[in-house]
Amino acid sequence: MASVSFSGIEKSFGRTRVLHGISLDIADGEFTVLVGPSGCGKSTLLRMLAGLEDISGGTIAIDGRVVNDLESKDRDVAMVFQSYALYPHMTVRDNMGFSLRLRNEGAGIIGARVAQAAKILDLEPYLARYPRELSGGQRQRVAMGRAIVRDPKVFLFDEPLSNLDAKLRVAMRAEIKALHQRLKTTTVYVTHDQVEAMTMADRIAVMNEGRIEQLGEPLQLYDRPANLFVAQFIGSPAMNVFDGVFRGGAVEALGARWPCSARAAEGQALKYGIRPEHLKIAASGIPAQVVVVEPMGAETEFVVSIGGARLTLLAGGRSAAKPGETLFVAPQAADAHLFDAASGTRV
Amino acid sequence: MNKLAREARLWLVGIPVLLWTLLPIYHIFLFSISSKDSAFSGALWPDKPTLRNFGTVFREEHFYLHHFWEQIWNSLWIAVAVGVLTLAVATCAAFAISRLKVRGGRMVMNAALFTYFIPAAFLAVPMYKAMGSYGLLNNRWSLVLAMVTLASPYAIWVLKQASDRLPWELDEAARIDGATPLQLFRLVYLPLMTPSLVAIGTYALLLAWNEYLYAFLLLSHEETIPLSVGLAHFLASDDSPWEVLMATALVYGLPPAAIYYAFRRYMVGGLTSGAVKS
Repeated sequence: MASVSFSGIEKSFGRTRVLHGISLDIADGEFTVLVGPSGCGKSTLLRMLAGLEDISGGTIAIDGRVVNDLESKDRDVAMVFQSYALYPHMTVRDNMGFSLRLRNEGAGIIGARVAQAAKILDLEPYLARYPRELSGGQRQRVAMGRAIVRDPKVFLFDEPLSNLDAKLRVAMRAEIKALHQRLKTTTVYVTHDQVEAMTMADRIAVMNEGRIEQLGEPLQLYDRPANLFVAQFIGSPAMNVFDGVFRGGAVEALGARWPCSARAAEGQALKYGIRPEHLKIAASGIPAQVVVVEPMGAETEFVVSIGGARLTLLAGGRSAAKPGETLFVAPQAADAHLFDAASGTRV
Repeated sequence: MNKLAREARLWLVGIPVLLWTLLPIYHIFLFSISSKDSAFSGALWPDKPTLRNFGTVFREEHFYLHHFWEQIWNSLWIAVAVGVLTLAVATCAAFAISRLKVRGGRMVMNAALFTYFIPAAFLAVPMYKAMGSYGLLNNRWSLVLAMVTLASPYAIWVLKQASDRLPWELDEAARIDGATPLQLFRLVYLPLMTPSLVAIGTYALLLAWNEYLYAFLLLSHEETIPLSVGLAHFLASDDSPWEVLMATALVYGLPPAAIYYAFRRYMVGGLTSGAVKS
């Protein structure tokens, strides 16, 4: 177990700069998720921590020790890859014990550690099988087993669930989280899926174009996104955002007045953001024409048209509303997010 | 119906090709089981088929066959040595270029490709001179070294292409697991490359087994030449014992056929693997 500290990390591939001075401190035992769209540099940052990419600038420290010039194998980190990266010619047992074998551990120790990891991951019946004889979820568990066996200072996960189907992904998500709660090993987890980030992380770093846009606990990011990018990235369905102008304590937009608790200069151009579940249906309010109704059982998602713009609306329970009908929505001031139109930062 | 038509067309092409290929081999076989008098009778099957020619060969009972066992041993020794050495050279090169990404790897690949533009016969005389100045003429090693030189470029190309198809994450996983490059090579790379290695080893081995020109140039003692050169000696006289020559040729042709048959699965997969991106 160890803390991880990035300070001023830069990375260039040739002339292209992909990371612009990233600083991030991860506490001992913390589960940190790096999330962002593809190409934002999250995987590169993780690979630099793993020692698979050179560091162009800045320092990375594990447990207070700068590891910039250390080989991967000397950093005491274990990584789970998206493609599992299991050795196809080795059985599950040999895959999991490979790192210990390289360290010249005795057969007894290797056997015991592999058996222990297999027990944690429910892999005991499969130890003699080859990776090709396993399902995707089982392979993923073997990849995790390979990491656990080493008892490393830091676990690194590089989009480990992306190759799994939706149902299995949810199950594995819970497994990884349970595993972390049990082992309490410092974990850095990279994903492009904000749901994974929200459900698993102690803290999330939202990355975009080689920078960290915001760092914080999941609900903190959800409730108070620091800028437009985070606001639209975190949350599913995504936050509704439209242009407006601040006048008389509210935002004028889409032919209606939208309440807000934040204050801006009179006449300032703003982006008004409101999450779909906060667009509450009411007896009166802003008229919204129903375009699409998507019943999901526990809740119903609507696409509505307000002042020519398409907004998403999420209501609990079921609805009898049909396309073409008009509903009224009553947004609350406390639920509104205001962003500066030019810079995108929170007002 | 459609499938049937396609099948029929395949047969239509396949049968003539098969006959075309087998006809000379059949003639070799025919000669080898004929007695001296009936060898040139022109019949499709000899009146009195005999295995006596093979006895003559195995007991070295002919002037041209006094070193038969020695020469077939030479062929075998040279072929195996070429196979092993080519594999060693090409595997290391492919691993270094494809997996370790050594500097200048591209240049080596281009240079290897360039050697294809030079016909092997063109290099025969320079090779002869080179071997002469190292004092290797009439030494089996001269032919081994020459054949390794000729086989390596192709071997490197094929193995490099095959290496490139191994997932890169495996190397990274092994590095994080603590493998040194040598351990990566031994414990991960070699096992995964086995099919290609078998194919390339067989290729080099058969190339050396079948070689005539270089063997003829570099080796000239009866005791050092491989059987391919020994066979040609039969044609030195006007009255060649064709039936014995063909029996020897048939024996000479069996090992490659056996090797090819044993490894055919690897040959088809290995030599084409890496040729196209699947």
